[in-house]
Amino acid sequence: MLTYQTRRSILLLFLLLFGMAFVSAANSESADVGNCLLCHKYPGLSRVDEEGRFRLFYVNEDIFDKSVHTRVKCEDCHTDIKKIPHDTPKKVDCFVQCHIVEPSSEQKFSHKEVAKFLAASVHGEVAKQGNPKKHPEDLPSCKDCHDNPLYRPLSFFKRVRPGISETAMGRCRVCHKKDDFIFRFYNHVTTRLHKIRNPKNIAEVCARCHDDPELVKRHDLSTRAAYSYGETFHGKAAHFLDERIPDCLDCHVKRGESVHQMLSHNDPQSITYKTNKAKICANIECHPKASPKLADYKIHAEFNFEQGTAQYYFKIFFIALTGGVLLPMMGIMFLDVLRRLLPNAGLNRKK
Amino acid sequence: METHFKIKVKNGKKYFFRFTVNQRFQHILLAILVIVLVLTGMPLKFPQAFWAHQIYSVFGGIRIAPFVHKTAGTMLVLLFVYHLIYLVYTFYQGQVIPLKKKNELSIGKILKTLISHPIVPNLKDIKDILNLLKYLLFLTNKRPEGAVFTWKEKFDYWGPFWGIAIMGSTGLLMWNKELFTKFLPGELINFALIAHSDEALLAALFLFIWHFYNVHFSTSVFPMDTVFITGYLSEKMMVEEHYEYYKEIMTASGYPHEILPPHGVRKPESEHGAVRDNPVKLTDLPRI
Amino acid sequence: MKIFFSRLYLLAFLALTAGFIFLIWNLTFGEILEEYHQRKKATEIVKDREQKKKKREEITFQKVILEGDETVKHYLGYRILQEKRIEGHFHHIDFDVGPDKINYCIECHGDIPHDKVKGIRAFGNMHASFIACQTCHIRLEGVAKSGIFKWYDRTTGEIVASPVRAGVQPGTYKAKILPFETIDGEPQRIDTQDKIDFAREYEKNEQSLTEVQKSKAKKIIHKQVSKKPYTCADCHQREAPLLSFEDLGYPKHRIDTIVSTEVIGMIKNYTQLYIPRLLDPGFGQHQSKQ
Repeated sequence: MLTYQTRRSILLLFLLLFGMAFVSAANSESADVGNCLLCHKYPGLSRVDEEGRFRLFYVNEDIFDKSVHTRVKCEDCHTDIKKIPHDTPKKVDCFVQCHIVEPSSEQKFSHKEVAKFLAASVHGEVAKQGNPKKHPEDLPSCKDCHDNPLYRPLSFFKRVRPGISETAMGRCRVCHKKDDFIFRFYNHVTTRLHKIRNPKNIAEVCARCHDDPELVKRHDLSTRAAYSYGETFHGKAAHFLDERIPDCLDCHVKRGESVHQMLSHNDPQSITYKTNKAKICANIECHPKASPKLADYKIHAEFNFEQGTAQYYFKIFFIALTGGVLLPMMGIMFLDVLRRLLPNAGLNRKK
Repeated sequence: METHFKIKVKNGKKYFFRFTVNQRFQHILLAILVIVLVLTGMPLKFPQAFWAHQIYSVFGGIRIAPFVHKTAGTMLVLLFVYHLIYLVYTFYQGQVIPLKKKNELSIGKILKTLISHPIVPNLKDIKDILNLLKYLLFLTNKRPEGAVFTWKEKFDYWGPFWGIAIMGSTGLLMWNKELFTKFLPGELINFALIAHSDEALLAALFLFIWHFYNVHFSTSVFPMDTVFITGYLSEKMMVEEHYEYYKEIMTASGYPHEILPPHGVRKPESEHGAVRDNPVKLTDLPRI
Repeated sequence: MKIFFSRLYLLAFLALTAGFIFLIWNLTFGEILEEYHQRKKATEIVKDREQKKKKREEITFQKVILEGDETVKHYLGYRILQEKRIEGHFHHIDFDVGPDKINYCIECHGDIPHDKVKGIRAFGNMHASFIACQTCHIRLEGVAKSGIFKWYDRTTGEIVASPVRAGVQPGTYKAKILPFETIDGEPQRIDTQDKIDFAREYEKNEQSLTEVQKSKAKKIIHKQVSKKPYTCADCHQREAPLLSFEDLGYPKHRIDTIVSTEVIGMIKNYTQLYIPRLLDPGFGQHQSKQ
C-alpha cells in the first residue's frame, strides 16, 4: 500500500509530465508526443493473447492523421501508459476526459454525454421500466459500432474528383496561417456537413448484430434488419454507393437528435412508434408529399412465413409461376435440341 | 391500310407475309425497351452478383440508371396503350365493320369472332403441344402442323402482354407511391415489389432463353430469323412451323402443285438425294 | 465439316440448356425448399457458433490480416480504404506485406510464434515479420559463421536488393533478412531446398509417423537451432551488432534510431524484467501447464 504522500507526489509528477507534454503538443504537428510510433509503426507488432484472440498493436500514422482523433495524443485514451516500456494496458475507456478543450463550453472534452444517450436508448442495459435486460453481454458498446472515424470531406461541390477542395483551402489560407490547422478545421467542419460513413458502411455496422440469426432469435427481434433493408430500394441504392439514400440512422433517430439515442419501436417516444412513423417518410428531404398511409409499407419485409402469410404466399405464387412456366419450357427446349442432335433416331420409321 | 401479297417470290424462293410495318415497329421498340429495362432492373434484383456493379455503371450508376429505367418503363406503358388502341382499331376495321355490312352485328357475334381470332389460344394448341411432345420423344417423325399462329407464338404474345400489365401497373405504383397511398394501403407497395421483381425475372428468363432460342439459337434459324425485320417468313420455316396454314395459303394463292411435303418427310421423287432441297425449275428463275 | 460443327453446337447448347434448367430450379423451387430448410435449421445455429471459435494454430498474422473472413471497405469519397476487420479493433490497418511462402518454420509455429514471454512477445513477432527465424534462433559458430545476411523476397524466395534502401515504410517490406552459413568455404543461404522439403514433408505426414520417428525428425529439423537465441542487445548496439546494418541497406538515420539510447534503454528495462526468465529453459512449458 502506498501512503497518501507518495500517491500525491506521484500524481504531481504525472501532472507535471502531462503539462510538459501538453505544452510541447501545442507546437507539434502530430499527436505522437510520447514517441509511441517508435515501436507501434511496425505492422508486425502483434501477438495472440491469453484468450486466443489476435491482437494487433500497429498504428498506421498516415490513416490516423486523417481520422477525427488526429489531435488526440495516444496517452489521452490509453491513460494508464505512463512510461516506456509499458505493461499490458487497460482497455480504453471512451468516456475519459481528454486534453482537448471543447471550444463552445471551454470544458475538457469527453464522450460522456454519449454514454447517457446510449443508456437511455434501446441498446442500454436497463430497460425503461427499470429492470435489467436479458443477455446484457450482447448489447453494443462503443467499439462494436465504431472504429476510428475517418474524415470524409464534403466533396459534392467539386467537379473533377472528390476530396478536399484546394480552392476552398486557399480561401482559408487568406486569414489562417497554419496549414495543419486549416486542413484539420476544413475536414472537421466539412465532414460534419454530411455522413461520416456512407449508408452502406452504416448498414454493415448494424448488420454485425442485427443480421446475426442467433442474436435475432435470442432478443426476439422481428427481422434481420440490415438484410431486409437490403431488400428495399433504399438498401439496394446504398449497396450501389448512393450517398443520399436513407440508412438505418436516418429513420431510427429523430432528425436533429444524437444517433445514440435510438429507441425501440414499442416506445411511444420513438420516431419509429406506429403513430410517429409517418413523420419519418414525410420528412421534407424524403417524401414530403407522402400521406400517413405510406408509412404502413413494411420496410423490414423479408416476405417470409413468420412475418406474414399473405406476402409469403403471394411471393410463393410468383416463384411457382416462374418455375411452373419455365421448367416445362426448358424441358421442351432440351428435347428439341436433342431431337435435332439425333434426327434419325425416331422409333417409328414409317411415314 | 397497306396491302400485302401473301406470298412474295424472290430469286425463286417463296416468302410468306407475316407482319405489317406497324407490327414490326412495335416489336422492335418493345425489344429495345425490354432489354434496357432488364439491364437497368436486374442489378437491383441481384445487387450482390458480380455483374451488378458493372452493368449498373454502364447506365450511369445509382444516380442515373433508375431514371433510365423509369423512362424506358414509361415508354413501354405508352407502347402498351398504343397497342391496345391498335388492337381495338384493327378488330373494329377487320371484324366489326364486315359484320356491320352483313347486318349481323350483335354482342354474341362479336364475342364469337373474338374467341375464334387466330391469336386466341384454343384446343388445337393443346393438341399441337401433345403432338410436339410425341415428336420430341422420338415416338413419331411428324411435326405438328401449325396454324397461322402456333402455340409458341401465342405464348410469346400473351406472356409479355400479361407481363407488361403487371410490370407497368406495379412499377407505376411504386414510382408514384406518395400519390397512390393517398387512397390505397401502404402495404400494397410490398405486394407491388414482390410482383414487379418476380415477374421481371420470369419475363427476362422467358424472353432471353425461350424466345431467343426459338428465333435465334435454334439450328433452323441460327443466327436469326429475319422475319422480325422483313416481315416475310421463308418457305422452310413455314413448312416446319405452320404447315396447316402453309397448305391453306399455297392453295389460296394459286400454288397448289408446289406445296412441299411436311418437315422431315422426304419427297417421293428425290430418293437418291439428287434434287432434294431446291429443285431448280424454270419458273424459279428470275423473272426480269 | 458443317455437320460436325452443327453437331458440336447442338451438343454445347444441350449442356447450356441443362445449365438453364439448373439455374431456374435454383431460382424458383430450389429457393423455396432452401428457405423452408433454413427455417427448420434456425435452432441449430447456437451449436455451430461454439465450434466457430478459432484454435490457436489457426491464428496467424497471414490468416487474420491477409486472408481474414471479413473485409471492410470504407468509402471516404476521395479513396476507398479496404482492410480486413479484426473484431474490436479500433485503429485502421491498411497495409499489405504479402504472405511468406518460403519460411518453413511457419508451417508448425505460425507467423506470430512468440507468445510465452510477457513484455517482449509482441516485439518478437514484430521482428519476425521482417527477420527470418534462423537469424536469431541459430547461432552459427566457428567455420560455419559467415557473418553475411541478405534480404529474400517473401513470395519468390529470391535474394533481392534492400527494401530499406528503396525507402519502403519501416516494417512493411515484402522481404525478410536471412543468414548465410559457410559450407566448404562458400557462403550459402541457410534455408537450403533440402531442409525446406524435409520440414514440409514432415508436416504433411506427421499423423502417420510413430512417436520415435517424430522425435527423430524433429531433431533433424531443429539440429541447428540454439537453446539460447540471440537477444535484442545483440543487434541493438553500436559496437559490434550481429547484423551489419549498412550491408543490409539501412541509411544512417535508420541505424541511429535502431541503436539509439531510447531503444537501447528500453531494451535494458525489458531485459531486466523478462530476459532472465526467458533464458531459463523449461520456462515456457512451465507456464503453459498452469
